[in-house]
Amino acid sequence: MIKAKIKPVQEILDAINGYEKILNVGCGGCVSVCLVGGQKEVNALNAELKVHLKKAGIQKQIDGYTVERQCNESFLKELDNKILEYDCIVSMACGAGVQHMAQRFSKIPVHPAVNTVSIGVDRDLGMYEEKCRACGHCVLGYTGGICPVTRCAKGLFNGPCGGTNENNCEISNEIPCAWLDIYKRLKEQNRLDDILKVYPPMEWQNQSPRTIIQEPYERRYLALG
Amino acid sequence: MFRKKNTAGVNSNEIRAILDEKKAKMKLSLKACAHCSLCAESCFLFMGHNKDPKYMPSYKFLNSVGVLYKKKGNVDKLDLGEMRDLVWERCVLCTRCYCPIGIDIPDMLALARRICRSQGVYPQYDRE
Repeated sequence: MIKAKIKPVQEILDAINGYEKILNVGCGGCVSVCLVGGQKEVNALNAELKVHLKKAGIQKQIDGYTVERQCNESFLKELDNKILEYDCIVSMACGAGVQHMAQRFSKIPVHPAVNTVSIGVDRDLGMYEEKCRACGHCVLGYTGGICPVTRCAKGLFNGPCGGTNENNCEISNEIPCAWLDIYKRLKEQNRLDDILKVYPPMEWQNQSPRTIIQEPYERRYLALG
Repeated sequence: MFRKKNTAGVNSNEIRAILDEKKAKMKLSLKACAHCSLCAESCFLFMGHNKDPKYMPSYKFLNSVGVLYKKKGNVDKLDLGEMRDLVWERCVLCTRCYCPIGIDIPDMLALARRICRSQGVYPQYDRE
């Protein structure tokens, strides 16, 4: 799932500076599961903002509301009437949710309260590890299930760079070399032939926002387009 | 079994106000459900839990919104807690459930979630 981290409170305070009525909108999806943008976190952030504002002697109305998912149009509908009362929205959703919200309520400024960090796994309660960068060209089947784009500091597709530092990455002694781990995993599985396969470089340049249509639905949407 | 309700901390008027927003759609949906169970196999959780009837979309919708409507919002925290398990634990709101009559089941389940949220009942991922 998508993982995010709360922004520094001062950054959020700066963002809402100049607005009187603020609605902080949480999301019941991924950010709720990673304990950063659900209903509980909306309440906590609102309480924190109010304390800071009170200390500074500033009066603002800050309300909270949580929708099931900000990345789905049907769940944003319930805000249509509510939003009219406010002059600024703070969204605790991921980047997709914030943009979706800003698109639907284009006349009201929308400010993110969290930084969307990664697609990751749950290591433990409140601890998450990045695993995927959604590059759109998955090679995990050939790299023993270790992502070279995410794990390698240079995102190298075809073997390690010359900077491998013993077993670690040249950028830090605490980060294991992704390609060494890939080598070990493939060796363990007796699949070292896979490491010799050469893949064309990723075309990171020219990347435009991707819209996907699942195959069974192509006729439905492409015919309309 | 009869149980004395403890409605402390529950604002029934607020629940009724939310129900009223979608009253027409909700009433029609509750009335139209023919218990045909055709929605069941469109739910991957139903299929993934050995076709346990408690995972049927119609079961989830009738036992959440249906109960709230029948009781006119007069529920207590225990009722809402049971509802929370139903609409969050047994549903991910993937919106893929299919009703041949055209009942918008995801919208009804989202309504139940909204009501639970309005009363401070929602999943606490750090406690569960």
